[in-house]
Amino acid sequence: MGNLFTLFRKEFKGFFLSPAGWVVLALVAGMQGWSLAAAMKALQTAPVPESLVYVAFHTPNFWFYFLFIFPLITMRLFAEEERSGTLETLLTAPVRTSHLVLGKYSATFAFYVVLWIPVLLQFEVFSLLTRIPAPFSYGSLFGAFLILILMGAFFIAVGCLASALTSNQLIAGVVTMGVLVIHYFLGYVTVIYGDAIGAAPVFHYLASHEHLLYFTKGLIDSRPIIYYLSMAALTLLATHHVIDHRRWTS
Amino acid sequence: MIQVENLTKRFGRHTAVSEASFGVDRGEVAGFLGPNGAGKTTTIRILAGFLPPTSGSARIAGFDVARQSLEARRHIGYLPETAPLYREMRVREYLRFRAQLKGLRGERLRHSLDEVVERCGLQNVRRAMIKTLSRGFQQRVGLADALVHSPPLLILDEPTNGLDPNQIRSIRRLIRRLGADHTILVSTHILSEAEMLCDKIVIIDDGRIRAADSPEKLIGAMRAAGRVSIDLRAPAAEVEPVLAQLPYVKRVTHDGTEPPWEQFSILVESGTDAREAIYDLCRRRDWPLRSLYRHDTTLEDVFVELTRKD
Repeated sequence: MGNLFTLFRKEFKGFFLSPAGWVVLALVAGMQGWSLAAAMKALQTAPVPESLVYVAFHTPNFWFYFLFIFPLITMRLFAEEERSGTLETLLTAPVRTSHLVLGKYSATFAFYVVLWIPVLLQFEVFSLLTRIPAPFSYGSLFGAFLILILMGAFFIAVGCLASALTSNQLIAGVVTMGVLVIHYFLGYVTVIYGDAIGAAPVFHYLASHEHLLYFTKGLIDSRPIIYYLSMAALTLLATHHVIDHRRWTS
Repeated sequence: MIQVENLTKRFGRHTAVSEASFGVDRGEVAGFLGPNGAGKTTTIRILAGFLPPTSGSARIAGFDVARQSLEARRHIGYLPETAPLYREMRVREYLRFRAQLKGLRGERLRHSLDEVVERCGLQNVRRAMIKTLSRGFQQRVGLADALVHSPPLLILDEPTNGLDPNQIRSIRRLIRRLGADHTILVSTHILSEAEMLCDKIVIIDDGRIRAADSPEKLIGAMRAAGRVSIDLRAPAAEVEPVLAQLPYVKRVTHDGTEPPWEQFSILVESGTDAREAIYDLCRRRDWPLRSLYRHDTTLEDVFVELTRKD
C-alpha cells in the first residue's frame, strides 16, 4: 500500500510540475467558462425550460474539448516511461505491477477531479456576482459532476491502456482520442438510424450524450454508473496485463 | 548470491542467451565480460527481473527471479546501462522517491538518503534538476539509486560507459569501496577495468558462458596465451615459415616493417618458452636480432582467445 501512495504522489505532483498540466487546467476552466457565459446569454434572451447547469453542459463546444482532456492527461503515463527507459528502473524495483498501474491511474483521476473545481466555482460565483439565486438545483449540479467523474473513470482507463501499448506519446494520444470519438458516436447511431434497428437498446446504453442529458437534469440512473465503473475496471485489468506480460514466462 | 542454471533467452528466432550457468558467491566482485551483443545486458535484465527467462532458472539470494520476482528484486540494487532517470526531478527528490519505492520510511529513509548522497559525491547537486547534470553525475545518481536501500547485491551494467577518464576513475574507486561490503556483478567490455576490480570473471560470447573463474586462474589455465615479439633483419617471406616450424609455436604474424627491420609476433603455448629456440635459429641463419621480448599473459589475451571469431 505504501508504494501505491508513493507512486500516486509522484505522479500527481508531476501534473503540477509540467506546463502540460496547467494548460489542461486552463483549457477546462476557459472552455467551460465560455460555455457558462453562452448559457447565461441564452437564459437572458429567451425563456429556457432547462436549468443553467443543463444548458452550460449542452453547448456545442462541450464534447469537443471534453474528449480532448483524456489524451492530454494520459498519453504520457506509460509511453514516456517506456521511451526514456525509466520503466526498467520502475519494474526492477520491488513494486507490484498492480500498484504501478493503480498509482498512475488514481493520480490521473485525482488530477481530473481537480480540473472540475474551477467549473464548480464558476457555478457558485454566479449567485455571488448577480445577487439572484442561481437558476439550477443542487440535484442537477450533483448529477452533472457525478456523470463527469464516471465518464472520466472509464476514459482515463482507456488512455492508460493506450499509453501502455506504445512507447510513443503521440500514438497513445491519437489512439485514445480515436477510441473515445468512436465511443461517443456509437451513442448517435440511434439518432441517425432511429430506434427501429435491433441493437438500439445497446446503443442507448452506451450513449454518453444521453447519460449527460439525464444526469444534468438531476436524474441519477444506476445503469451508466455500473457501465462506466465496470468498463474502467476491465480496461485497467487489461492495462495491468499489458505491463505485466513482460514478466510472464512462456 | 547469484545462481544461474541453464538460462536461455530467445527473442523470436534469435537466441540471445543459451544454456548459461554460473554463480557468484556472497562478497565477491564479479566481472561480466563479453563483446558487444554477446548477451550481457539480456542476462543482467533477467537477473534484475525485467525480462523473464525462456527456460532455465536464475536465483538471487535463493529467490527465483521469475517465480519470486518481488523477493528477488528486494535484494538487488540495479543500475541499467543508460542510467535512466526522471529528467524533470531534482536529485534528492528522485532519490527519496526511489527509496520510498524500495520500502524505506521515516528516520531510516532520511539517514539512507544522506549517506548515499555523500557516498556518491552528490552533496553539491542534491537540489539540481537531473536534466542539468553531466553524464557522469547522472551515472552517480543512478548508482545512488541502486545503493539507497543497502541491497546485498549490486548489479551494474557498464557503469563507466560514456564517461571521461576522471569520471571513470571516480566510479571505479566507488565500486572498489562498495566491494568491501556488497556482492557486485559488474558488466564491462573494458578488460583492464575488470582485472582491476574483480575477484571473479565471467566471460560470455554468443550467448554462451565461455569461462567463469578468478582472473589469475583464467590466465594460468590459458593454453595458448604466451606471445613473443621479435625484430630482426631478414626477408619476411623467408622468416615466417621457418619460425612456424619451431616447437611450441602456434602462429606467426607479420606485424610490420621498419626497413630493414621486420617485426613479428609469435603465439606460443603457455608454460613454454620459445625464446631460446628463436635465438638459436637467428644465430644459425645469421639474421641480426634487435629485440626479443615475451609478453605477460593478460586478461585481454584470455578474452581474445575465448571470443575471437577468426
